[in-house]
Amino acid sequence: MSTINIAQQGEQAIARSRRSPLRAFEESRFFPLALLLPILFFFVALNVIPTIWMIGMSFYSYSLMSPAPPSFIAIDNYVKIYNDADLWSAFSRTFVFVVLAVGIETVLGVLLGFLFWGSSNMPGRRLALTLLFVPMVVTPVASGLFWRLIYEPTFGVANYFVQLLTGSKIDFLTNVNWAFGAVLFVDIWMWTPFMILMTLAALGSVPKAELEAAEVDRLSIWQRLWHVIWPHGKFILMLGVLLRTIDAYKTTDLVFLMTNGGPGNVTELIGLKLYRYAFASLNIGFSSALAVILLLIAISFTSIYLWVLNLRRYREGA
Amino acid sequence: MQPTRARTAVYYLILWLVAILFFLPVFWILMASFKTPNDILAVPPKFIFQPTLSNIIDMLSRPNTVPYFINSLYLSITSVSLAIVVSFLAAYALSRYKFRATNFLMFLILSTRMVPAAAFVVPIFQMFNAFQWRNQFGVLMLYTMFSIPFSLWILKGFIDGVSTRYDETGFVNGASRLHVMFRVVLPQVRPGLIAAFIFNLIFVWNEFLLNFILGGPGTQMIPYALAVGLVSAGGNIDWAFVASLSTGYVLLPTVMIFLFQKYLLVGMTFGTVRGEV
Repeated sequence: MSTINIAQQGEQAIARSRRSPLRAFEESRFFPLALLLPILFFFVALNVIPTIWMIGMSFYSYSLMSPAPPSFIAIDNYVKIYNDADLWSAFSRTFVFVVLAVGIETVLGVLLGFLFWGSSNMPGRRLALTLLFVPMVVTPVASGLFWRLIYEPTFGVANYFVQLLTGSKIDFLTNVNWAFGAVLFVDIWMWTPFMILMTLAALGSVPKAELEAAEVDRLSIWQRLWHVIWPHGKFILMLGVLLRTIDAYKTTDLVFLMTNGGPGNVTELIGLKLYRYAFASLNIGFSSALAVILLLIAISFTSIYLWVLNLRRYREGA
Repeated sequence: MQPTRARTAVYYLILWLVAILFFLPVFWILMASFKTPNDILAVPPKFIFQPTLSNIIDMLSRPNTVPYFINSLYLSITSVSLAIVVSFLAAYALSRYKFRATNFLMFLILSTRMVPAAAFVVPIFQMFNAFQWRNQFGVLMLYTMFSIPFSLWILKGFIDGVSTRYDETGFVNGASRLHVMFRVVLPQVRPGLIAAFIFNLIFVWNEFLLNFILGGPGTQMIPYALAVGLVSAGGNIDWAFVASLSTGYVLLPTVMIFLFQKYLLVGMTFGTVRGEV
């Protein structure tokens, strides 16, 4: 086929399509809005309206347990939250959980990430990494149950080894001194692989040329870490830490399934607490106020996350 | 210093041991699904046992098991597909037309994934009750919304990476905008589509709290079945059932991350970090 033929065909196609109303619509300024319409529908119907509704409800006294109709009480729910010692302790427990979980996962993840750095030629690498990364793609409900079987005091395998070593058994999930640590351990098991993944990504973002230059210049391992790896890798590592922080602060399913907040309330994290106010005591007004606070915390974390992301784009031009 | 073969072998061995160590708890449950109920409860725990398929047969023969699997598959595949279509249209618009609110919209949509589920489920619950949406349709819509942020972020990232010259070449040759979108840009963002599909599938497959609170017949998925269906007649946990159901359930995410490992990073960071491990 000659070039002239193609050109003719193109012109014919243009002439045909110019006539179509669809074409006119595609070129109008409503077209981009039409493309956004479906996503905006979902976003408005399932996020914006519920959020506004929730903010509204947070100023009302409204419980499904009492026959009284909702009544406007301004900021009383927020005042109640401020004065609720129980909630403050749930917040501080969540804070401790997040700091310990993310801290330990980061340290372990970075160390193991460095260990896995040179593994690109390992035989069966794909299978090994699959095994390594499985904990983070198993639903917390299932992993909560797995660990209940392992921690189980009479026939659990953890206690079998504990008894071999110490001669006595530990009731991991019902003992006040152990339950928090036991849940924390499961979170670390689930999410250390994620920090390994982020460390590998961070190491992968260091330009090969700079690493080779460091090799040629015979920099010490600390000099390489500080002058070559850290300036490039810090962004992705930081994104990993932030994402983990956001996620650890959301932890609900895991404690719900493993301990349901007990024994007493030593594993009652803020997400579970909110769930209880909303669906066990059916206190809609109060739980909405609490939800608004959790929403604000989440949004501020997200802003920090995006700030780091943009910082990276700006620095790396990525 | 050139590492010797022996050193390399030891190094790989250590890596394999680390990987296996992380997998052990899952392996323990997999083993339990092939043990008789008595073997599961044995003291001391049995490491070597006569494998049996009776738990898995028992699990599959329970009236609700197959519907749970079907619900899980149906809800995750449908909602994720819908989310990807919706997100692709929006991602193209946000990438090619310059709106002033683009960054803000992207931020708001991402932040919906960062909120604890318990926080926004309260108003959703009331809304779904009021509209009588606590059925397959409502849950489907919710999971579509749940899958949108990640799909949008990843697809916008990929479309930004496709030079606008492709679009222009298309226009010069008389192609329509839709033709450019679906025939020129779409094929080039295929990895993004795959990553969004696979990882949203895993996320919806794993979702529990929304399903637990909003779900009804026809929407209950496997995590719900695990959480609710675990108590046997005696009031004890029915470990044989839990183990065999978990085994069936863990299969999908495991196979997915084996097959699509190169998308793992972009998947676990909701499309904000790209790269391979």
